[in-house]
Amino acid sequence: MSEAGSSIALVDVNNFYVSSERAFDPSLEGRPLVVLSNNDGCVITRSPEAKALGITMGTPWFRIAGQAQQWGLEVRSSNYELYGDLSARVMELLGRYTGNLEIYSIDEAFLTLPGPLRAQRVTGAEIRAVVRRNVGLPVCVGIASTKTLAKLANRWAKGNPEFDGVCHWDLVPEDNRRSLLQRLAVSDIWGIGAKNAQSLNALGIDSAWDLAAADPVAIRKRFSVVLMRTVLELQGTSCITGRESTGNEQVLYSRSFAAPVSTRHAMHQALSVYAQGAASRLARKDLQGRVLTAFAATSPFSSGRKSSPTVCVPLPAYTADPLELTRAADTLLPLIEEGVPYIRAGVIVTDLRPAGAQAMLLPPASATRKDTGPLLHDVGRRFGRSAIGLGHAGLKAGSEWTMKRDMLSPHYTTKWSELPVVKAR
Amino acid sequence: MDGSGASGAALGRPAGAADEGSLMPSGYASPAQDWFEDRIDLNRHLIRDITSTYIVRVSGDAMEGAGISDGDELIVDRALTPRDGSVVIAVLDGELVIRRIRISSSGVALVAASASYQPIPVPDPDALVIWGVATRCLHRV
Repeated sequence: MSEAGSSIALVDVNNFYVSSERAFDPSLEGRPLVVLSNNDGCVITRSPEAKALGITMGTPWFRIAGQAQQWGLEVRSSNYELYGDLSARVMELLGRYTGNLEIYSIDEAFLTLPGPLRAQRVTGAEIRAVVRRNVGLPVCVGIASTKTLAKLANRWAKGNPEFDGVCHWDLVPEDNRRSLLQRLAVSDIWGIGAKNAQSLNALGIDSAWDLAAADPVAIRKRFSVVLMRTVLELQGTSCITGRESTGNEQVLYSRSFAAPVSTRHAMHQALSVYAQGAASRLARKDLQGRVLTAFAATSPFSSGRKSSPTVCVPLPAYTADPLELTRAADTLLPLIEEGVPYIRAGVIVTDLRPAGAQAMLLPPASATRKDTGPLLHDVGRRFGRSAIGLGHAGLKAGSEWTMKRDMLSPHYTTKWSELPVVKAR
Repeated sequence: MDGSGASGAALGRPAGAADEGSLMPSGYASPAQDWFEDRIDLNRHLIRDITSTYIVRVSGDAMEGAGISDGDELIVDRALTPRDGSVVIAVLDGELVIRRIRISSSGVALVAASASYQPIPVPDPDALVIWGVATRCLHRV
């Protein structure tokens, strides 16, 4: 998808949930803060200060609640309403810098940046400054010729202060590139799971550098076409396109229109088709989602009005119900400008979990006692420890309407009764 | 034309009755159709950039003299650069505080619009975090 004279940027928000909380409550700045998953189950985001306390991702809240006060640890429930609104603001801003925005999750997106390499880096720095200024969130930008390298560049932008939040892979000196790749384990490469990483290690392929040196055809024969693409991408050949979403982090359903859509009515029809498409993909993977993003965009090449509206809405419950998804996608419609030609739209469902994780009280009849344990372990490892359990332990605290969010911050941007308060005293 | 009920005025109807065209018997074109305009849209009027605009609520009477009362809602644009005299939301000791910013050759200060509050000196302007600039006040009359 890389056009001549263009690169791919991956922009993502640093510690998105933590940063969102801090944007409206500056007293949290510099203090250890964690955000908990649904029903206040376990830690899903940590500030660097909380990380320094040794709190790991997925730690059940009850296990550290006792020490929180002594640590000075701040804790918040997931405020999806706030995160969704801030996400939509970020995506709308990103859309102003590219004709090709591919929203990858609630807090990250790929975008095509045209122009000479140095100009691309300048644009990356501008994006970082403008998102910080307008939305109050810190982002990092990784730029490269392929998505896989952009992901890596983004990671280095985060980890190394000297990049100042923006790393353009093609502007990094050759020697530094090599040492960065040599220090990166294959398991840390985008799209490579633990199982593939083990098999690669067994072949003596340990680092990203090793994998980039591998023969793509041999990799395809031994592994899969998917892994071959990763090798090619590491070598600088762009071959992972927008249509393929890797892993189960999200379900994306997006298309370019055959003819531009310029009315709300037609957009409503398109969105309902896409929402149903996303619903059937979820059903096929036996997943349910909690957050829906819907977007539309005009052509980057049109001289007319450019528009890239985005909404990100929490769903009323974990669901794969096409009606619920369609209803959520329709919240984009008021932002669609009548008469403006949109060439693309899409629906993304994120925050996924396996369908029926709460309903299944007994292991399936086919599962013997012997393999239940590993099964629970695998599911727990993939989807979080509270996703599954035996008997009563497997039940989270009821469904959405009783969802526990005891430490919820205000819905600062979506409720008149919960606006941020400014002191005039 | 500023859009304030223009189609209604053209028909000699009270402003705000612009949608009466839809009650016309079918088969007759509305005489207002050439004058159609979108209704007044407060979002367009009040919001310069949706990505940087937030609404906050005022607590306290320190800005009374600037027409900003306790309980009022303020429209705040994070993307604007504060100038001397701007009403700003500043971050002070972890709190969002509203004041008027005074910028002069002798330094920077955050000043209330009420005699009961002392100006807040800003010894190190570079360390001052301005959260946003207030552009409008929504005051119930």
